[in-house]
Amino acid sequence: MIEVKSISKSFKTVSALSELTFSARDGEITGLLGPNGAGKTTCLRIIYGLLRADSGQALIESVDANRYPLQARSNLGIFPDKFGLYERLTVREQVRYFGELHGLQAEQLEHSVDNVIERLDIASLADRKSAGFSQGQRMKVALAQALVHNPKHLILDEPSRGLDVMSTRILRDILREQRAAGTCILFSSHVMQEVAALCDRVVVMAAGKVAAEGTPDELCQLTGEAALEDAFVKIIGSDEGIAA
Amino acid sequence: MSAYKTIWKKEFKDALRDKRSVLAAMSYAFFGPMLMAVAFFFLISQLTDPSDVKISIDGKQYAPELIEHLRENGIVERDTDWPAEVTPIELSIPENWAEAIASATPIAVTLRADWSAQKQQSDIKRVEQALQAYSAQIANYRLILRGIDPRVIQPVQVAKQDMATRGSKAALIMGSVLVFILLSVFWSGMNVAIDISAGERERNSLEFLLSQPVSSQAIVIGKVLAASCFALFGAMLSLILIPVIFSFVPLHQIGMSVDFSLEMLLIMFLALVPLALLATSLQLFVSFRAKNFKEAQTYISFLLIIPMAASFGVEFARLKTPVLYYLPLTGQHQTFLSLIRGETVNWLGAGVSAVFTLVVAVLLTYLIGRMLKSEKTVFGL
Repeated sequence: MIEVKSISKSFKTVSALSELTFSARDGEITGLLGPNGAGKTTCLRIIYGLLRADSGQALIESVDANRYPLQARSNLGIFPDKFGLYERLTVREQVRYFGELHGLQAEQLEHSVDNVIERLDIASLADRKSAGFSQGQRMKVALAQALVHNPKHLILDEPSRGLDVMSTRILRDILREQRAAGTCILFSSHVMQEVAALCDRVVVMAAGKVAAEGTPDELCQLTGEAALEDAFVKIIGSDEGIAA
Repeated sequence: MSAYKTIWKKEFKDALRDKRSVLAAMSYAFFGPMLMAVAFFFLISQLTDPSDVKISIDGKQYAPELIEHLRENGIVERDTDWPAEVTPIELSIPENWAEAIASATPIAVTLRADWSAQKQQSDIKRVEQALQAYSAQIANYRLILRGIDPRVIQPVQVAKQDMATRGSKAALIMGSVLVFILLSVFWSGMNVAIDISAGERERNSLEFLLSQPVSSQAIVIGKVLAASCFALFGAMLSLILIPVIFSFVPLHQIGMSVDFSLEMLLIMFLALVPLALLATSLQLFVSFRAKNFKEAQTYISFLLIIPMAASFGVEFARLKTPVLYYLPLTGQHQTFLSLIRGETVNWLGAGVSAVFTLVVAVLLTYLIGRMLKSEKTVFGL
């Protein structure tokens, strides 16, 4: 369970988030939907403790991410906004590295690495160095790094950007599998179809605030629109920054 | 396994696969001593030129004995023309030589040369010395013929005793070699230090690394240790190669002896360990602030000037204050100098400077750790 409680954050004079409050439940996929610059990445960075909120709390299983970032992160799998791979290491070595950083050891470590490689179907890549990988392959490696320690919570920052249809489908399948295993998944996106296809609940963000919250159907009903895209436009009051 | 060891191991492996880093660490240690050895080789062969000095002699038919004396001293008449860029060394013997010798009156012999020409210094000196020796010889004969002890005209006899031991003469030349060894820890780990800090940021993997449940201190410690390994690898390589390469340089020909005992090399290596930690933490401190690899390289090149200026400054200004023994860098430098001169090492100074160096390194590491917690540095806000 991830709870965001009235978080405010500003950079110098620019206010990025103001009194943001929402929660993501276990076994559900929560989509953080908003136009570019709505504060999605800032919000996620606060949840995994890389940015410090000016006020308010981000709780992961009741652990305050700002006060105990290490403890909070040990429960998190993270797919960041920018993910760079170590191009001189093989996929297996990279995944093992992050497993070790999460405190996995010896047999447990090897088992987890093998397991995640199998789950993401990247056995054919496992012993190759990641230089020259396609965007889809890189996404899978980044996901393997995030999942190697079997986190209870998964945070993804626009995971589908740059992916082709096949890779997007694979990503969705993986996220559904994780949901079935009871993982709490929070992901940000500005792509409407993806949110509609995947999310149990949607949090619509605009200008650092929650503009609306509910299931995709609820949002449509709320606005009296048939399609989520129209509902979204109505909620945030402009069609700025929406990818078709 | 503790997190810092995991990071250390990974960064080390990563850097080892980076050909640029490995080459940078090795080339300095390898080509540097090589270059110095070649320079010394030429210097020595010039200083100890055993071949004849060939000069132009005008009027040699007037003084065959003098010419014979010069020949015995390795000074002969030239049979080829002087090269255009060299000022000739010319000796003119006057017509009245035999007459003046017979009547015991002074003879003006002219030696024409360019005394400021660096390359001809030893040639001119040899001609002068040979002429003076001949003059003294004749003077002695004349005095004896007149029944006078030649010693009466030498009331003061200067006995030159060269106090420079073989070792301390060597120290003069070896000083620059020592500076070179000291700087090896700054050069060899440099590329790795940039790669694992500014490079990590540039490759966009820094954010993910910092989002792991690992303290930023552990991350920095792991990185400092990985880069220090490379710095020390370079230092070790130069410590091994310098004695090997210098054994081919004929230092004994200019009255020098340098022996690098195994014990001495070991002490040097140990003294370099804290310095390597300081060098890499300083480099990481600077390059974590840079936005990308290029920018970090620029900053670090400037940073390199500090240890270079400090050690060359001390070396060439012949600076001597006791403070030098206790400071980072200069402390190690002084220890090296004592070792190579065969003097007793100021162990207190060496110890204090080692601890001082370590404290600064730890402090810098701590500061980088704090820096990585600040969102300003991490995201370049």
